[in-house]
Amino acid sequence: MEDILGQLAQQAVNGITIGGVYALIAIGYTMVYGVLSMLNFAHGEIYMVGGFVGWWVLQIFSVNHVPVMNAALLISFMIVLSMGISALLGFLIERIAYRPLRNAPRMNLLLSSFGVSIFIQNFVLYFQGAKVKVFHISHLIPEGLRVFHIGGVVISFMRILVIVTCFICMVVLTLIIKKTNIGKSIRATAQDIEAAAFMGINTDKIIVIVFLIGSALGGAAGILVSLLFTQVDYYVGFQAGIKGFTAAVLGGIGSIPGAMAGGILLGLCEAMAVTFFPSAYKDVVAFVILIAVLIFRPQGLMGEKIREKV
Amino acid sequence: MKRFNLQSLIGPNSATIIFFVLSMVVIPSILPNNYWQSIFSTTGVYVMLALGLNIVAGFTGLLDLSYIAFFGIGSYTFAFLCSSHFGIHLPFLVALPICALTAMASGFLLGLTSIRLRGDYLAIVTLAFAQIFRLLLLNLDAPVNITGGVNGIYAFDMINIFSLKVITPENYSSLIWTCALLVFIVSFRLKNSRIGRGWNAIREDELAANTIGINTTRMKLYSFASGALIAGFSGAVFASFQDSVFPNSFGFQQLVIVYCMVIIGGLGNIYGVIAGAVILTVLPEFLREYGGLRMMIYGVVLVSIMAIRPQGLFSAIPGFTRFIKRPDKDETGKLRASTDLYYSQKNDETDKVKYTKQADTLLKIRNISLNFGGLKAIDDLDFDLHKNEILSIIGPNGAGKSTLFNIISGIYQSDHGKVIYRDKDISFFKPHMVAKAGIARTFQNLRLFNELSVIDNIKISRFCRTKAFFFSAILNLKLNKQEEKQTDEKAKEILNMFGQRLTGYRYHQKVSHLSYANRRRVEIARAMATDPQILLLDEPSAGMNPQETLEITKFIKKLRDYYGYTILVIEHKLNLVKAVSDRVIVIDHGKKICEGSYDNVAENPLVVEAYLGKKGKKGNEK
Repeated sequence: MEDILGQLAQQAVNGITIGGVYALIAIGYTMVYGVLSMLNFAHGEIYMVGGFVGWWVLQIFSVNHVPVMNAALLISFMIVLSMGISALLGFLIERIAYRPLRNAPRMNLLLSSFGVSIFIQNFVLYFQGAKVKVFHISHLIPEGLRVFHIGGVVISFMRILVIVTCFICMVVLTLIIKKTNIGKSIRATAQDIEAAAFMGINTDKIIVIVFLIGSALGGAAGILVSLLFTQVDYYVGFQAGIKGFTAAVLGGIGSIPGAMAGGILLGLCEAMAVTFFPSAYKDVVAFVILIAVLIFRPQGLMGEKIREKV
Repeated sequence: MKRFNLQSLIGPNSATIIFFVLSMVVIPSILPNNYWQSIFSTTGVYVMLALGLNIVAGFTGLLDLSYIAFFGIGSYTFAFLCSSHFGIHLPFLVALPICALTAMASGFLLGLTSIRLRGDYLAIVTLAFAQIFRLLLLNLDAPVNITGGVNGIYAFDMINIFSLKVITPENYSSLIWTCALLVFIVSFRLKNSRIGRGWNAIREDELAANTIGINTTRMKLYSFASGALIAGFSGAVFASFQDSVFPNSFGFQQLVIVYCMVIIGGLGNIYGVIAGAVILTVLPEFLREYGGLRMMIYGVVLVSIMAIRPQGLFSAIPGFTRFIKRPDKDETGKLRASTDLYYSQKNDETDKVKYTKQADTLLKIRNISLNFGGLKAIDDLDFDLHKNEILSIIGPNGAGKSTLFNIISGIYQSDHGKVIYRDKDISFFKPHMVAKAGIARTFQNLRLFNELSVIDNIKISRFCRTKAFFFSAILNLKLNKQEEKQTDEKAKEILNMFGQRLTGYRYHQKVSHLSYANRRRVEIARAMATDPQILLLDEPSAGMNPQETLEITKFIKKLRDYYGYTILVIEHKLNLVKAVSDRVIVIDHGKKICEGSYDNVAENPLVVEAYLGKKGKKGNEK
């Protein structure tokens, strides 16, 4: 009995870690959906690129797997650069693939985002190869800080890093959305893009900002997970993308707090499922949750039901 | 035009038949080696796959991302039934339909749960299903070996069709292309049947399709299942041809490839889709040195086609779509404005029987109310509509007029009260049931099937009055032939009622090319084609100039006087209301404030107040 409780506590910690990451990915989906009512399927690839950028930073700034600079500085540099390049990528995607389709049927937008996703995935495959890139982080973290034992629960340093970073990202985002002028414009655009334009909001600019923020968070999620599992490959974006989307739907697509809650909930569900099912079926759990939510409560846990105007 | 009719009744044109015969007989025997032979067979499989997806995504506009899973279900079912894996050795001709039907049943079940979801949600649910399917394929090799895991299942029984053995690659090419021909004929026949038209309507405007009598949920389900059936069928053929099945043949990449084929060809364009499938299977073989770039190129293709030519590459090439006459010329090649034609025709209806308002009521609205949040859109509304009556509903903007129409036609459900049509409570009817019962409506802001031709818009309305089902449509049985003929005649008959404004070359013109007034007319014609007793016209003259308004006024009167429709009309233009109405009801804030003849209503102080506001204090002081 105690064994199971201990295991559950351990899985809860694992769940919150991975859930925080899902939340970061979900925010990108939800924000883009909010302003454009489109599903940015390429978001998962942005996450993957974030992981690769981090790997390259680590590679360039270390000799024989030993970092040439302060470890804390290097990790922050990895995260910041991943976010930056992912944001840039998101910006480019919006410009090239989505802006020309602003007034097209939504199915075209979705198909276009599939195209982007396939392109980025295979671009990375072509230039980086199919082999898993391993993060050699053993020298990044001082010996004594690697693992903490708190009452039978094992928490690695990286888990703490992930949880803290996710938390900071979400707090900063919430402050931006709630307190700043840009946040207000984003909320207005999400509610009614035409009305927002009439009120003098440059909605094109807001859409770009939304893509920048969403992609930066996606990139952050990518590097955090890569650090946590110390590896990344070209295919991780697909799974992560679906997970993030599931989290967004779970919380009610379009709602940012919903995405955060949905992410953590999904992470917990998955972690708990691993306790009871073989881990090969972990992903099945996520997909079943997704299907169930869409069928029984398509507006999500926090979303509102919308009546179509005739 | 004659050729077109012939084509839709008999089947595909001769060029396509030659193409398939060549594919089946000639090409397999002239290909240089087995390598090209196998590419040729693969092309056939992809043609089938793309045609099947075209039914779901092209005809019906459903973004089905589990399509590749149904392909896999067909393949694996074949592997189970025709190999030593489970020791079941069914003959090919028995196994093939079982595979197809298994895939169809899975499609039906998945559709049942998710088909009500909006476009992109459906896409994601189906994607999740495809992923679950793949995970199961990969992991169901332990504890009991069902799917063979990563390695899959291999070594199937030899195909033996009535002691005709399929062994050599040439045999396979012929077999596969025969199957492809079969799929082609099926999808061609379906496209030109009432079923295909129903699917097109759903793709163009689901709500409008529903209000003209198409059970959209059911039709979408059929489409989903048909796609799955073809995918399963192709899957079985594919498995036999490969002599092995493994999970990697049914991944997301394969799905994207098939989607690329359909999209390059143009969604819904059968010939284009075949061309797309051929090009995308053969072309990469010439570009083998750039193999690594292949999927990248697919990505670019998807993005650029969506941005530049969402209708596909083949939509404007003659032979791939029907040639459309210069819209400003009639059949003799003379330039004629339809207005001239309209006024040059004679009025020959004066001697017909005239219908007038009768005493018995056809539609009873009993105390209906509807709240949107805190707003009372309709508040305890109650009135009768008599047979052969023209009843006008007027009232300021936001009074609840269109909401009333939405309640009658079943789009909204009222909170209280009943709608009774011919002594039958239709309050809980879905829109398609209301249409079938005999109440048709038009929309205030036009919801036509914009990408379809005028005549197709009308033909779609005959959906609820025709019965031909899949068998009849695919085999072109007597019922289907008869109904197609009647549908065509009826559609033309109705379009002819509008003078010559919608006839001749206009039959085959896209609705989106019509003038605003003509689109309004098509909207009315579409409602009329469902054989309704009651027409609900929502602002039929909105956006028309005075001349056109006069014309539509006469037309509404004619509809009742000579054709016997009962008409409920919402209108803002009071000269129209005055000219046509037997009775007028004024509503404001969802309440009926006045009822009676036009003159009575016009003088009622409450009405004046609703329209012009209360007389201010200033006015009183003067």
